[in-house]
Amino acid sequence: MTKKKSDYIGPKVLNTLLPVGLAFLIGGIIILCIGENPLEAYRIMLGKSLFTAKGFLNTLHYASPLLLTGLAIAITFKANLFNMGVEGQLLVGGFFAGIAGASLDLTSPVMQKVVCMLVGIGCGVLFALIPALLRAFFHVDEMVVTLMLNYAMIKVLEYLSSGPFREAGSGYVCTPVIHESAMFQRLGIGNSRLTMFFFLAFAILLIMTFIFKKTKLGMEITAIGKNPDFAEATGMRVRRKIIILMCISGALAGLAGAGHMMSEKFKYTLGFSGTTGLGWDGMLIALLGRHNPIGVLLAAIFYSALKTGADNINMYTSVPKEIVGVLQGLIILFLAVQFLDERFGLRERFARRMSRKEEA
Amino acid sequence: MSIIIETKKLTKKFGDFVANSKIDIQVEKQEIKCIVGENGAGKSTLMNMLYGVYKPTSGMILLNGKEIVMNSPTDAIRNGIGMVHQHFKLVPSLTVYENILLGSEITKRGLIDRREEITKVKKLIEQYQFQIDPMEKIQNISVGLCQQVEILKMLYRNVDILILDEPTAVLTPQEVDRLMENLKALKKQGKTIIVITHKLREVMYVSDSVTVIKSGQVIGNVKTKDTNETELAQMMVGRDVVLTVRNESGPKPREEEAYRVEGICTVNDSNHEILHNVSLYVKKGEVLGIAGVEGNGQSELIKVLTGVMTVTKGKVLLGGKDMTNAWPDKLRKFGIGIIPEDRYAQGLCKEMTIPENCIAGYFDTHGVCNKGVLKSGKMKQLCDDYIQKYDIRVSDQYGVISQLSGGNAQKVIIAREFENNPDLIIACQPTRGVDIGSIEFIHRQLLALRNAGKAVLLISSELTEIMSLSDRIVVMYKGGIIGEVDPQAASAEEIGLLMAGAGAKGGN
Repeated sequence: MTKKKSDYIGPKVLNTLLPVGLAFLIGGIIILCIGENPLEAYRIMLGKSLFTAKGFLNTLHYASPLLLTGLAIAITFKANLFNMGVEGQLLVGGFFAGIAGASLDLTSPVMQKVVCMLVGIGCGVLFALIPALLRAFFHVDEMVVTLMLNYAMIKVLEYLSSGPFREAGSGYVCTPVIHESAMFQRLGIGNSRLTMFFFLAFAILLIMTFIFKKTKLGMEITAIGKNPDFAEATGMRVRRKIIILMCISGALAGLAGAGHMMSEKFKYTLGFSGTTGLGWDGMLIALLGRHNPIGVLLAAIFYSALKTGADNINMYTSVPKEIVGVLQGLIILFLAVQFLDERFGLRERFARRMSRKEEA
Repeated sequence: MSIIIETKKLTKKFGDFVANSKIDIQVEKQEIKCIVGENGAGKSTLMNMLYGVYKPTSGMILLNGKEIVMNSPTDAIRNGIGMVHQHFKLVPSLTVYENILLGSEITKRGLIDRREEITKVKKLIEQYQFQIDPMEKIQNISVGLCQQVEILKMLYRNVDILILDEPTAVLTPQEVDRLMENLKALKKQGKTIIVITHKLREVMYVSDSVTVIKSGQVIGNVKTKDTNETELAQMMVGRDVVLTVRNESGPKPREEEAYRVEGICTVNDSNHEILHNVSLYVKKGEVLGIAGVEGNGQSELIKVLTGVMTVTKGKVLLGGKDMTNAWPDKLRKFGIGIIPEDRYAQGLCKEMTIPENCIAGYFDTHGVCNKGVLKSGKMKQLCDDYIQKYDIRVSDQYGVISQLSGGNAQKVIIAREFENNPDLIIACQPTRGVDIGSIEFIHRQLLALRNAGKAVLLISSELTEIMSLSDRIVVMYKGGIIGEVDPQAASAEEIGLLMAGAGAKGGN
């Protein structure tokens, strides 16, 4: 009798939690070396951002773009594609959403926002289309192309923001601030930064989950990921699906950029997406969430809590906030190791171990 | 004769599932023993225990009367037991002799002594009268020769007992003959051979004794000379089977043409033309068989006709409609059902569920998909219908395909393609690696379709299958069609001659 997949959820969860735990352990040793109490540092870092109402809502706020970038990577991974260009797509989406938000002035604030987001999505899609077409028609490895295009786009945007689109009156490189009608206002719940953008991102997560679990497109994409020969032979038009999927991924990334612009930054600066970058963070989140929508949601919130917690750690202890970067690196490192074989349940594994011992 | 290896109450459980239950077998020294049984009967599990891959749950293995415990294939080889798997484990870029000696290289002062290695392998090949060049690279030799290399690998390690898992499944008829002769020669030289198979003709030809396994239990031990194919078949499936379903009683094919292929050519990746001017037609209510030794363009023809490869010249017409270079989804929409050559590559997705596989390629029928949204209720219902109607044995009806045995997996494809009312079925190797019960079922289904006035294009490397099902047979040789024969009038030898490329006879 073949066991159902769900029977083996134990090792999967452990395989996700173990790397995080190990990263915190080694991070703790580093904190000890600095001369601080690691438990105290972690309490400050996660306690405020997860276990106070305001802190948690802020965490959700910062998790919004991460949710979308994590999803953008998770969905391509399903079809065995690797969109490493989420960072670039996010930047270009955010940049042009910002330009649209500053230069357009529509009477309806709803329309203003919708147009800005559409601009962001459109730019993300167009930018993702380049590697998609190269892959579909010329078999160019999309992983390399998307990865390299990030750096090209960063430079292009650097030029645009410091040249043609530079805000004249500003002392540093940035674009004009978007009109207020294009800004997502704080909802004011518990005095937090939370805006509608989080709910939008969450709704999109639900929609994508539905598409992947319940539609023909979702099934075809799964089939392409699991057995491309089968997909081709049953007429699933693999090439077309690859393009569609990369476009969806680009759209999610572009929307993440637009949302980040409209709910947090309001203008494009060279540090728009922060250190490590929201797109790169998305990669970690997709990995940590095991390319599963609920996993992505939880991972995005966890990761956002780490990021917001970094500021607290800086404020209340002598541990530098870069410790979060260290933790991130360690998590990725340990995620690359598969600690447990996921084909078997924990109980069976234990039983096997026991029977082996008996035999010996 | 003394007993060289025997098992006593050998049992293997995977969780709750009992794969082998209290198996007692005895193999005499210097005999060829065939283990037969349907797919999923537990033959491979048993052999894997003898070869140290699996550890028995209970029971014991006796070698020359003494109990042995094996923890790995290395232990098995040390005990003189070697196995050749169905899927070869060879390094394509290395030569024959390098593969044979892989892991036990002969060294001189820390360096590999090539000359000594080649001499030894040459001697080995001579000793067992194999016909193979030790200097040839694996990637350049045929499947049959690869198998010889695998056997030589074991012989070099001085095994006395050689286990072969479905050795003929991948071979051409000529290679099968060669293998049979090799096995007999090995036996003469004192080796004991255990062959897992479900091809009864081979059993009768080569073996000294037969053990029949069904559902993990031994149900019969017989001397080959005391039995016959029909009796073995009955033992295997536990009921009477007509060994070959014949195309005899049905109505005559109609005159209307259902499908026509006109002068198609195609090239492979390295731009060599591999199909030359292939033309054929199938009438309504007719089975057209395409025979030929594998590798003569059948695979490419199948790919072209099923829409995964394009033609460079020529036309394909289904009832007058142009289907040249059409995508697989269009082919299916216009009424071409496809049973692909390799069911786990093109036919099914192992890691996906049975309901999902049941609708693959057919999203627009049976109301399973409405505006892109899948109806899981309808899918399950359809899956239930197929399982019932096509007698598909499952343990978890909505679980993944990989739980199914080969025959049952094939039935999922048959169900999917037949239940969408095709005008033409392109059936490629429809019974390859399928148990006898399923073979009969599939053959009956194909003929039922034919008798209902549909066209069937049957491509198979099993000559008996082609001969007993077809109304007409065309033979492929080197990428072209070399001749057409009437299965009623022609003998297997005549077709065999054509398959070997000897003189075209009766062009039309």
